[in-house]
Amino acid sequence: MSLITTLIPSRARALSHLENGAAATIKPHYELVDNKDGYGLTVYLPGVAKNDLELTAENNLLRIIGRRTWRQPEGWTSLYSELPEESFEMTLEHDHAINIDQIHAELREGVLRASLPKAEALKPRKIAVN
Amino acid sequence: MRIESYTYPGNRRTGWTNSALSPWTGLENEIDRLFTSALSGLNNALPGRQFAIGLYQDRDNTYVRAELPGANREEINVEMVDGNLQISAARKQRNGESGESFFLSRTIGVPEDVQPDRVAAAYENGILTVTLPKREEAKPKKVSIAVK
Repeated sequence: MSLITTLIPSRARALSHLENGAAATIKPHYELVDNKDGYGLTVYLPGVAKNDLELTAENNLLRIIGRRTWRQPEGWTSLYSELPEESFEMTLEHDHAINIDQIHAELREGVLRASLPKAEALKPRKIAVN
Repeated sequence: MRIESYTYPGNRRTGWTNSALSPWTGLENEIDRLFTSALSGLNNALPGRQFAIGLYQDRDNTYVRAELPGANREEINVEMVDGNLQISAARKQRNGESGESFFLSRTIGVPEDVQPDRVAAAYENGILTVTLPKREEAKPKKVSIAVK
């Protein structure tokens, strides 16, 4: 395990993050598609309820924090587990390319779907040539 | 192995990059991306691949928790086949106009004798929890013996 931790940079960083006293988080799987009028963001956050999701847009950063509150109930013995308990965290940097006021987001069954409309300045525009 | 088209790092700034917390973030992201694509075979939480599970037990039941974010509730199938638990689910991905469909399935060996007719399942926040009641014989028994 320690060999893997030292070999994979992201794991090593996660570990140093932990040593610094901050809670460890993992980056969720996500997809981002570029549509004509905006970006479509899909983030997989299994085990995150609506109340445990934090979506903040500040300056040119869009931050998503999803806390997993499920803990093994007392009396349960874990026989085998691939399920991490860490919370999800990811940050997207967007160079003011999106219209923050019109972000629409929806969390359903552990999947966050957000539409991020492009800022007017970024949309393709036809320029008339005389 | 996944084939990913290479984008020149300098051109990626118009799109999206991750948190700019340290001067090394750009380089770190590139390295992470390389590792992610190289290790993608080991990663089972990606959509379309095998989903992650956890197996637990208490005195009366065995529990299976499975990560199935975004599955359609009606298309989750839980079955007991020859003493193994089979979970299958379908997920539709909506990305603008285009949609992709995934079918996921996994068979889990359940350690204790279960009562197949009393298996129950619940789906919440993308996590499926299956409760498998143990047979009476399989439960730990307390036998009191009078000491004479």
